[in-house]
Amino acid sequence: MDTVDSLEALLFVADTPVPLNTLAVSLELTEGQVEQGLEVLGERLAGKGALKLIEIAGGYQLCTKPEFVDIIARFLKPQKQRLSRSLMEVLAIIAYKQPITQAEIEAVRGVQSDYGVRGLLERRLVAEVGRKQTAGRPFLYGTTQQFLHQFNLNDISQLPELSSGLPVLQVEEGGIGS
Amino acid sequence: MALRTDAAALARKPQARKQRKEEAVTALGVVAPPPIQIESPNFNGSLATLFMCVRERKLDLLDIPLMPVCEAYFIYLLQAHVKDLDEAAAALSALAYLLERKAWALIPIAEPEPENEELLELIAPTAYEYDAAIAALQIWHEEREQVFFRPPDGGNDAYEIPFDIGNVTIQDLARAFEKLLTKVEPDEPKVLNKPRRSISEQMKVVMRVLSADWKALDELLKPPFTREDVVYWFLALLELIRLGQASVRLRKEEVEFSRSANQKNPAAKTPTPQHLNTQTP
Repeated sequence: MDTVDSLEALLFVADTPVPLNTLAVSLELTEGQVEQGLEVLGERLAGKGALKLIEIAGGYQLCTKPEFVDIIARFLKPQKQRLSRSLMEVLAIIAYKQPITQAEIEAVRGVQSDYGVRGLLERRLVAEVGRKQTAGRPFLYGTTQQFLHQFNLNDISQLPELSSGLPVLQVEEGGIGS
Repeated sequence: MALRTDAAALARKPQARKQRKEEAVTALGVVAPPPIQIESPNFNGSLATLFMCVRERKLDLLDIPLMPVCEAYFIYLLQAHVKDLDEAAAALSALAYLLERKAWALIPIAEPEPENEELLELIAPTAYEYDAAIAALQIWHEEREQVFFRPPDGGNDAYEIPFDIGNVTIQDLARAFEKLLTKVEPDEPKVLNKPRRSISEQMKVVMRVLSADWKALDELLKPPFTREDVVYWFLALLELIRLGQASVRLRKEEVEFSRSANQKNPAAKTPTPQHLNTQTP
């Protein structure tokens, strides 16, 4: 059985990003062999069809190509999730400073942040990752796999560095997954 | 002559004594200390000389051990058969002065804190420093919305059934609800532990009334009815629309409802969402 076809079959049925080691165990191959197969699969899909292979949230997953966004949107009528400025601010602070308590978030922002933290928890973009060993044992928050998935990130280390001066943002065209 | 000599001699004795007493007054102000000799590695001389040198800062007292000085004083007290207590007191005063000066010199002096010439450290990053990160996240989020993935929950989910309400807006539905609600007076407050009604049961009632013909809300719900009835009817209709069991349209600014085309059996079992299951009487 062809490795590339096998990978395509596994990734088709998977509804979450599949880590490399999981694919290797399922196919009884080494991770190197799986990586080679994924590379071939990626090139094959890029050449034709409506699907493409991306590496996201620590694994591999099939997704549709951007040129089909309008057709799919008419079919699915997805609800667009828009995060407000305050939610984005809280999310960015948690992403960079995690694990972090709500009080520490408020110390950075200078305003109360319980609404922002609650909103992100409901959207499953952040989660409670433990408790800080200080008086009161407040909750510690960190980002989730859902956060990586929703923001097209493979790993938290892909976040841009913070700078003390006015930041100059350079984002690659096409984003991380393309 | 001898008498004059003797008289002159007698006259010089008190003067000599007085002169000696005048010479005995030193910088201590009263009486000079007795000639107590001190021999130490860094000083050889009398106690008075040592006192003057220290007072005039000609000697560093830290280099001169005071143990020999104290020993010389005690030997003087014990062996010299002190007759003039003033001289002994002067010596003790000089010794005390030396001991006090040395004690002060031995106390460590706290180093002055260095002046902090460096700039104050910047306070912890404030929210504005995340502007670039927020902009990047927004861009990546928009790119992510251009692609679609297999949904994590496989199969049909009652909450994911796409329903079509055409050109009917939420405001239209609210207007129809409010219009019917204003036709009845508010209910009288009732006891709190009254039996609760069930939306799922109300949905069955509504399905029995709905037909293929389009009807407005006030045509579906016949009087007499209470405000509570209106609320339950409206909630049941909304749920049936969401589940695809009922349809809604806007006709001449009037919202009309009917049974969905795929619903043929008026007694069809309606799925009961779990969160709407409430206690029935």
